[in-house]
Amino acid sequence: MQAENPSEAAIRDWCTEYLARTLDLPAQTIDPQTTFARLGLDSANSVFLIVELEDRLGLELTPDLLFEYPTICALAHHLAECVGR
Amino acid sequence: MSNAITEFAPQGELTDQSRFSSFVDVLRHHAAQYPNNPAYIFLPERGGERLSLTFDELYARAEAFAGRLAEQSQIGDRALLLFSPGLDFIVAFFACLIAGVIAVPIMVPRRAGSRDASAAILADCSPRLVLTRRDLLTAARPDLAQRFQANSLERLFVDSCATDTSKLRPSLPAPGWDDIAFLQYTSGSTSAPKGVVVKHCNLIENSEMIRIAFGNTERSTHVSWVPLYHDMGLILNALQSLYVGALCVVMAPVAFMQRPLSWLRAIHEYRAEVAGGPNFAFDLCVRRYRPEELQGVDLSCWKVAFNGAEPVRANTMERFASTFAPHGFDPRSLQPAYGMAEATLLISAGRRGIGPKTRGVSREALQRNQIAAPAQGQDCQILVGCGRQLPGERLVIVDPETRIPLGSGLIGEIWVAGPHIAEGYWRNPEATSSVFKARTMSGGIQYWLRTGDLGFLSEDGELYITGRIKDLIIIRGTNHYPQDIEETVQNCHLALRRHCGVAFSVPDQNDEEQLVIVQEIERTFRRGLAIDEIIASIREAIAREHELTAREVVLIRTGSLPKTTSGKLQRQLTRQMFLAGSLLPALEPPIPFNRG
Repeated sequence: MQAENPSEAAIRDWCTEYLARTLDLPAQTIDPQTTFARLGLDSANSVFLIVELEDRLGLELTPDLLFEYPTICALAHHLAECVGR
Repeated sequence: MSNAITEFAPQGELTDQSRFSSFVDVLRHHAAQYPNNPAYIFLPERGGERLSLTFDELYARAEAFAGRLAEQSQIGDRALLLFSPGLDFIVAFFACLIAGVIAVPIMVPRRAGSRDASAAILADCSPRLVLTRRDLLTAARPDLAQRFQANSLERLFVDSCATDTSKLRPSLPAPGWDDIAFLQYTSGSTSAPKGVVVKHCNLIENSEMIRIAFGNTERSTHVSWVPLYHDMGLILNALQSLYVGALCVVMAPVAFMQRPLSWLRAIHEYRAEVAGGPNFAFDLCVRRYRPEELQGVDLSCWKVAFNGAEPVRANTMERFASTFAPHGFDPRSLQPAYGMAEATLLISAGRRGIGPKTRGVSREALQRNQIAAPAQGQDCQILVGCGRQLPGERLVIVDPETRIPLGSGLIGEIWVAGPHIAEGYWRNPEATSSVFKARTMSGGIQYWLRTGDLGFLSEDGELYITGRIKDLIIIRGTNHYPQDIEETVQNCHLALRRHCGVAFSVPDQNDEEQLVIVQEIERTFRRGLAIDEIIASIREAIAREHELTAREVVLIRTGSLPKTTSGKLQRQLTRQMFLAGSLLPALEPPIPFNRG
């Protein structure tokens, strides 16, 4: 996720890689349509994910975003729109 | 009052503060002495309003609210304190003390449907009132309104209580030295929480011990992000600053989690002397360090950086000291500390200006609960000292089986006595007697608090913690009982065998504890099981019910979980087998634990 305006796919891949590291799972086993709740993400790790995304995308985000956009796909779609704006 | 502190305190260190008759007396004293000094400031998250209370304002608001409280309660009634981060908690807490109502701080339950200790706490202490904010129950979290709808539970809103100083305040009897101040529910499992009964005398005695150890004065500004319902956030931050007449700058815990460097910026801005938290907080600051975000930040004012509530790691402190040395941070400010709610809070700590002590011991001997010099480099484990016993306190190491006191350098259970030790758990004589009323074999009438922690004293009196008797899991400073997590796991799928699974934690590559689940599968379910689905259900349930991420979930064969001959779970042995990769997976070959 290096480009100035990362694409939805780049954000999705980055989130998948990041969560694979956090959850100690092989990245290919993480389905981006699975909810964050189903992945077992607790609130502290949700905050850490949001903070990393803020850093990389230069956006101000809130942890509640993971309730509004509860899967990697939904989140990536939303974030790509924010970045494109 | 007890003269224990006077006996032990260095000459000239004691002040008039040791003559306070209650914690209300402390507040009244400061409100009279420094009415216009700020007592608390709340730093908002982005875009919010900065709030502050002077000592006088706090006293006035607390007294006004206490008047309302007194109309709807009797002395000795319990009141739940249910607040999101801010200063309302403080006002409500002191209102309870003034009205003689027993305060019961609780965490705001996180989400609709999630299970937590609140229902069991409600049942245990049968409160008459819940003190909260109107907007929390209506706008922000309507699900809470239902949760606290128990019959006979009255709601009182701190935000709809005006401070009318012109009106004659109702005269309430002043609380006494021996009266109960609040109940601290941090012990016991979710289903059977235990409320430590903290009296005014315990609170003042421990506050005085903390003041002497940390060398605090009215200039010792604190900056705290630790939740106020947490004993460390309350006693070591918010009440210690008030006790010495200093300012406490409060931040929301989530603001710290998101922007840990904002904690350090606040320390700089307010020239704070005292700020601390669990070990993970120091790691988080190092991990999120960006030099450009801390330009011009000078941390040379920070005299007491206490570290407690979870195991203190030597390399965390080294990394923290070297990362923040360019900002003037003095490594001698680092203060590992040890305590628990049963002792009001603090049990041992270093002294201001004296940095942490470390000691290299044999890892192999430590596993056998013995202290020996390391055989070679590989065998060396660095332990961090948690300071010395506090003035007025007695601390001994006892063989937990024979109850014989042990000499220095021997590992045993840590037992504590002193005026800060609570009398017991709320309406729980059994647990009170086993935890608070221990006696050593060497006789004497002294009652001791059994901490359940293992450790040893060095020749110079430094306390080193080496483990626990109970299988408590501590992650990010919060205690979790493995029994609670195991029950959650076994409830989430029919294929999971009851009483045949364990939860424990292991350190990851950053030395942070991570949760591991090992669970047996029912034999009848072994064919055609969607293992991934079950593991996902387990992870989901653990995050929902316990706010924890399971780092590893290992499903093992029926009957392969280690148990004692009497059928007891063996969590420590299971943990060792997990680390060695010798568990028998339900379907696949064993997967070694990936530390990388």
